[in-house]
Amino acid sequence: MIDLSKLSGLLIDDIPEMRSSVRIQLADAGLERCDAARNIKEAIEKISANRYDLIVCDYNLGQGADGQQLLELVRRRKILPLTTVFLMITGETGYEQVSTAAEYSPDDYLIKPFTSQTLQTRLERIIDKKQAMHPVYVQLGERGDRQKALAECDAMLAQQSRYSLDLLRIKGELLMEMQRNNDALALYQGILDQRATPWASVGKARALAARGDDAAAREHLDKAIEAYPNYLAAYDSLARLLEKDDPSAAQRVVEQALKIAPSTQRQRQLGALALDNKDFTRAEDAFRRAVEKDRTGFFKSHDDYSGLAKSQVEQGKVQEALAVVKEMGQNFGRSAELTVHQAAVESIVHAKAGNPVAAKAALERALKAAESGEGIAATASLELANACFASGDQEQAKQILQGVAEDHQENDAVLERAQAVFRTAGLGSEGEIFLEATRKRMIALNNDAVALAKAGELERASAMLDEAADRLRNNAQVSINAAIAALMRIQRQGASSELIDKAHRYITQANQANPEHPRLNEAVDLYRKLAPTGAPSLKVGA
Amino acid sequence: MSPLIAGAIHDAKNGLNLLNTWLEEARRASPSPAIDEARAVAARVGAQLVELLALYRAGENNLRLAIEDHDLMDFCQEVTTEIILPPGSKAHIESDVDAVAMLGAWAFDAYQVKLVLQEALRNALRHGKDCIRFAVAAQAGGGLRFTVSDDGPGFPQEVLDGEARAMDSASSGIGLVFARLIAERHATPDGRHGRIELANNSGAVFALVLP
Repeated sequence: MIDLSKLSGLLIDDIPEMRSSVRIQLADAGLERCDAARNIKEAIEKISANRYDLIVCDYNLGQGADGQQLLELVRRRKILPLTTVFLMITGETGYEQVSTAAEYSPDDYLIKPFTSQTLQTRLERIIDKKQAMHPVYVQLGERGDRQKALAECDAMLAQQSRYSLDLLRIKGELLMEMQRNNDALALYQGILDQRATPWASVGKARALAARGDDAAAREHLDKAIEAYPNYLAAYDSLARLLEKDDPSAAQRVVEQALKIAPSTQRQRQLGALALDNKDFTRAEDAFRRAVEKDRTGFFKSHDDYSGLAKSQVEQGKVQEALAVVKEMGQNFGRSAELTVHQAAVESIVHAKAGNPVAAKAALERALKAAESGEGIAATASLELANACFASGDQEQAKQILQGVAEDHQENDAVLERAQAVFRTAGLGSEGEIFLEATRKRMIALNNDAVALAKAGELERASAMLDEAADRLRNNAQVSINAAIAALMRIQRQGASSELIDKAHRYITQANQANPEHPRLNEAVDLYRKLAPTGAPSLKVGA
Repeated sequence: MSPLIAGAIHDAKNGLNLLNTWLEEARRASPSPAIDEARAVAARVGAQLVELLALYRAGENNLRLAIEDHDLMDFCQEVTTEIILPPGSKAHIESDVDAVAMLGAWAFDAYQVKLVLQEALRNALRHGKDCIRFAVAAQAGGGLRFTVSDDGPGFPQEVLDGEARAMDSASSGIGLVFARLIAERHATPDGRHGRIELANNSGAVFALVLP
C-alpha cells in the first residue's frame, strides 16, 4: 500500500467547483499536500518551480487549450520529468483523444464521474508502476543513456516484471531510436503473434519503413487505421511516410487525424503541407485555426503567422497578409529572431504582391537583423532564404541555405525544410544537387582533418576544425571532432589552459546541439581521462 | 435522433453525474440503504444515457472506439467493484479470472467494454437468484471471452433469436443493442470483429468476445 500523504501533488482545472470536489477526493485518498492551478499559465509556472510527485489535470482547460497540449508542452520542454505521475481527467467524450494520443500520453486517465475509491486505486497503481520502473525512466531522462535504459529494460524483463508490457513498449522505442530496425521489428512481431494491438501494429509499420520497406509499411498502416480509427500514432506515422513522395496524400491523412483530435500542432502541420501543395485556402484555414484557437499563446509559433500571411498573399489578400505580419510582432517577445522572421515574411508578401521596392526594404531589414543577431533558429534563417528567392536574390538565398545546411548537417528535418525552400522557389532539382554538395563538403572537411592529423599535422587539422566549429554551433559532429583534436594535442604536447578550455567549450557545444550524438561519449571519456585535476568539469551525459 | 434530443440526453446525463456526486457526499455523512439504492438507480440510468448517446453517435457516423492495451486484472477488478449491489439482495458476484494472469493485457476500449459488462452484471443481478458468475478466458482460435452468467430463468426465446427487445418488461433492450454495437466495432487489422453470444444454461449466459 502506498502512502500518498508523503507525496506532493498539483491539481489543474479551470472550474473552481471541480477543483474543490477533486481536491476533497484527493484528500480522501490520502494526498494532503496539493497545489492548485487554474489555467495553463499557472500550471507551467508551478511545474517549472516545483518538483511534484503527481499531477492531476482536467482535459478541458478553457481558452482553447486542453490538458493534452499542456502535457506535450511540459514533456517536450523537459520541465516535467518522466518520474512524475500525470493523471488526466476527462469527460466521456474527451477520453478517446487522451487515451490514444500519439506521443506523450498521460500515465493514466479517469473518466468522470468517478468515486474517491476509484481515484485512490488508480493513483496507487500508477505510483507503484512509476516506482518500479524508476531506473528505466531515469535513463530515459535528460541525463540518461539509451544503452543503459535498454539494459534496465532487459534486466526487468528477465525478472518477469509485472510491467513487462510497458517495458516492451519502451524497449521498442529505444531500438527504433538506435536504428536497430530488425530487432525492433522482431519485438513488435513477437507481440502481434500473440494478439492484435495498435501500438505493436504501428511499431511494426515504423520498423518496416525504417528498413526502407515503404510499401509494406503503408499497407500495414492503412489496415491499422481501418481497425483502430482513433489511434493517432497510426495517422502520424502514415503522414510522415507519405510526406516526401505523396504530399497530397499526406495532407489528407493529417486532415483525417484533425477530425479525431484537433491540436495546434496538427493544424500547423496541415497548413505547411497545404502550402507546399499550393492548396492555399486550406492552408489559410489551418493556420488561422492555429493562431486563433489557442488564446493562451503558449502553443503558437512564428510559423503559424508566417504560414497564414503567405497563404493569404497567394490568394491576393495583401492587406490581410500585412496585418498578420504586424500581429505576429505583437504576439511574441522581442528578439532578433522575431525581427528576422517578421521582416522576411513582410518582404515575401510585398514581393508576391508586386511591390519590389517595399520587398527589398523589408529584406534589407531582415538581413541586417540576421547579421547582428546571435543564435537565430533555423526556421527564421530558412524564411530569410525564402524572402531572398522571392526578391530574386538567388546568390544570397543559397549562401543562407548553405549556412543552415552546414550547421544542421545531421538534422534531416531541417535539411528537408531547406529542400522545401528550393522547391518553393521552383528550383527543386538544383536544390537537391546543392544540398548534396554541401553534405559531401562537410564529410570532406571531417575526413581531411583526420587525414591531416594522421599525417602528423595535428595543429593544422585542429585549426581547420576550430574555424568550422566556431561557425557551425549546431553541428555536433564538427564540434566533437574539434574537441578531440584539442584533446589529442594535450596528449601530445601536455595540457595547457587554452587547450583544456577549447575542448571543454566544444564538448559543451556538441552536447547542446545534440546530447544524443553517438560520438559524444568518446570525446567526454577522453576529456575526463586527460584533463588535469582542477580542470572545469563537464555537465553532460550520465 | 435529432441533435436537440441528443443534447437533452447529454444534459440529463451531466445532471445525473452531479446527483451521483451529491449522493456520495450524503453517503459519506450518513450511510443508509436508501442512499445505496438511490446510487444504484442513478448509476444504472446514467449508464443507459451514455449508451443512448453512443448509439446516437454511431448513427451520426461519429462513434470511434479508443482501442488500447489494458491490464486485465486491474480492469476486471474495476468492473466488479464498481457495481453497487442492491441492499438486501442475496445475490453475489463470483469472479473467475484465473486465466487473466496468463493473458496479462488485451487491447480494447475499456470505457465502452466496462459499460457493456456492468450492464450485463446489473441484468444478471436483477434476474439471478443468488450466484452471478463473471469469467474471463482466452477464446479458442484467438480472442478474449468475457462471460456473465446467472442462475435465473434464462433469456426468453425471442432474445435468443436475436430480437433487440427486452429481457423483461421493465427494460427497453437498449443494453443488448449497445453491447452488439460495441462488440462489432472492435476489430483487428486482419479483419476480425467482436461479437456477443447469448445462451441459456441453468440461467442466462451472456458472452462478449473481443478479437
